[in-house]
Amino acid sequence: MKPAPSPAPEPKIALIGNPNSGKTSIFNQLTGLQQKVGNFPGVTVDKKTGTLDLPGGTRAKLIDLPGAYSFYPTSKDEKLVVQSLVQPGNENYPDAIVYIADVTKLEKHLLLFSQLKDLGIPVLLALNMADVAEQEGLQYDLEKLGRKLGAPTLLVSGRTGEGLEQLKQLLVDLLAQVPAMSVPIDSTQYRLAPEEAKLITQVQGDFPGYTPYQLVLLAHHIKWLPFLTPTQKQVIEQAIENTGFQDLQLQVYETMQRYDQFTPIVQQARDKDGQGSASFTERLDDLLTNRFFGPVVFFGLMLMIFHALFTWAELPMNFIEGIFGGLNTFLQNNLPEHWLTDLLTEGIVTGLSGVVVFVPQIAILFFLISLLEEVGYMARAAFMFDRIMQFFGLNGRSVVALISGGACAIPAIMSTRTISNWKERLITILVTPFISCSARIPVYTVLIGFVVPPTKVGFVSLQALAFMGLYLLGIAAALLAALVFKLILRTNETSYLMLELPAYRLPVMRNVWLTVWEKVKTFTFEAGRIILIISMVLWLMSSFGPPGAIKRAEEVARRSAQLKNLDETATQDLIDAQVMEASFAGQLGKFIEPAIRPLGFDWKIGIALITSFAAREVFVATMATIYSIGHQDDEYSIREKMAKQRDPITKELIYSPATSLSLLLFYVFAMQCMSTIAVVKRETKSWKWPLIQFAFMTGLAYLSSWLAYMWLS
Amino acid sequence: MQLAKLKVGSKGHVSHFTDNCMACKLLSMGILPGTQIEMVRSAPFGGGCYIKADNLLIALRKSEACIIMVR
Repeated sequence: MKPAPSPAPEPKIALIGNPNSGKTSIFNQLTGLQQKVGNFPGVTVDKKTGTLDLPGGTRAKLIDLPGAYSFYPTSKDEKLVVQSLVQPGNENYPDAIVYIADVTKLEKHLLLFSQLKDLGIPVLLALNMADVAEQEGLQYDLEKLGRKLGAPTLLVSGRTGEGLEQLKQLLVDLLAQVPAMSVPIDSTQYRLAPEEAKLITQVQGDFPGYTPYQLVLLAHHIKWLPFLTPTQKQVIEQAIENTGFQDLQLQVYETMQRYDQFTPIVQQARDKDGQGSASFTERLDDLLTNRFFGPVVFFGLMLMIFHALFTWAELPMNFIEGIFGGLNTFLQNNLPEHWLTDLLTEGIVTGLSGVVVFVPQIAILFFLISLLEEVGYMARAAFMFDRIMQFFGLNGRSVVALISGGACAIPAIMSTRTISNWKERLITILVTPFISCSARIPVYTVLIGFVVPPTKVGFVSLQALAFMGLYLLGIAAALLAALVFKLILRTNETSYLMLELPAYRLPVMRNVWLTVWEKVKTFTFEAGRIILIISMVLWLMSSFGPPGAIKRAEEVARRSAQLKNLDETATQDLIDAQVMEASFAGQLGKFIEPAIRPLGFDWKIGIALITSFAAREVFVATMATIYSIGHQDDEYSIREKMAKQRDPITKELIYSPATSLSLLLFYVFAMQCMSTIAVVKRETKSWKWPLIQFAFMTGLAYLSSWLAYMWLS
Repeated sequence: MQLAKLKVGSKGHVSHFTDNCMACKLLSMGILPGTQIEMVRSAPFGGGCYIKADNLLIALRKSEACIIMVR
């Protein structure tokens, strides 16, 4: 395989560095809003790219590769870095690399740099956190460091923007040398082990354009690298056998050799030691990771986030609904009465409103979470809850998703991006919707009174206890399901904690705002599309029926309203109810009645289950329409109306304790939210997981409702 | 002695690792033979520990702390 013709129209520059090197800050400084988040093909790792304008008018494409410690990956993110860099000609193979290292931890941050040097790609070494180094009095002889390490070296700061103009200038110089430097080097930074040297000679002929070190890496990662042809694989496997190439042993050997090579260089180039600022972080951690106070502070913070999601989001959410409601009324009043008008207002505008209404919650959650991430707190939470969460197959960071799920599963699921272990992340995504979200509250409020009498035991009302019981049931279901998935799902990824706890720093607000912006954008444009389509389908189903059926239902309703001498509102309510019954949704409700009969549900509840798919709280509005009180859909009057409903044949109460409990359990467990499905699809990059999730959640709902109904009736 | 057995507040130097696979990751983070490690505290709810290796603060699981031998 020949390397791609180097001077592509837009040179590609990769940003590489260890986790916590402040790479993202630099990326944000360099690209600002000119960045795009996509995906690496085949995996669900964010691929951030941006446009970089260089002095002299060159435009370059900047790729932010995931943070990695070395070319020996332990997660999908790190594997991507290897995959992009060991194959000349890969679509992410860069023309030049900017390597970011934390200047305050230079001895720990140069391993990957040393490995990069052996790829033959021009590298620039940017020492980040110049501002911190200055505060601490830490000084390096940059000229000496650069000369000994063999790369242009400069100080930068992702916080203040210091050094970034110089970085761009150095990049221009570096790119000018690219053609000369793109001839693969034939040496390595460390002395090759005899096995490695032999292996290289054996396979070299089959891999033109590869550097010796890239060949060593191919041998190390032969098991998972996706791009090798069967013949190439065979050649390497043969060489591994011939030379006695030992994967782990050689990894350790190489790593130690590299440290031995660059550690003295770093020490000799250090002019002045810094007065470590670590003590502040350590003192703060005495409290924040304390065995007792640590979790207390954490739950305090989570309570704050939870509170913010509920209360801060309410006002903008009402505002959004108000705006779209107003727009609907305006359109209805000013457009001719036609089904196209209805499609526009009740289908599209309502669907759009259903997308935009989530934006405040997403923005608030990501504002707070990325603030905590920026200051360095999230790593502490992951550390404190690692043990408990591991038991359930989850990650320490899953706690945040599970708690946010109490407000809304959508931002919660989106927040799992920071979990690097794929299995732990997937399980978190799969179980989070079990946590009772705010959309279930109106349903619980309406139904709980049919099951539990409004009496008090001591100070506590039984209904409040039942309410809490439903929440706890959701939590228990989430944890148990996680446990089941932990046992079922197979992975060849080993789970590690080994987590660097970064020093506490003031947040860089630019990073926070960019995260919020990016999350809102992805939700609106990617998940939003699916939500809009489903909501239009739901609208079609509830406003259209078999030919003539809707018209007939309207006439029947009008006639019986005349007979009963109803006023205008009541007539309209009756028409709406009859139309709903005649529509496809109504037909479907009747069609599924035999299936939900064992749970104690009639076809009217069936309709509500279907329309709830738009959002669970739609249950209340649907009930209002079905019982022809559409113009007064407050929870109290709906409850009154529902309480009086009797079966037309047996004359028994429809909302008996048995049916109501069964329905409550159904709402606790079932996956009834198209927006969640859309987000899970977007986060797992396939329809497989949302479908599995839908099946097991709804299956569990069905089973528990059935058992409850059997037991009580 | 295993790092996991080190008392909170005491220090030791890494002598070797007893598991190559985990050792690789530790090495890449900068925990090398000879690195000074201080046991800072153990995690809430048991299990893990919070260590200081040179100027790095690192959280480890118990299983991870068990493969690091210190003296």
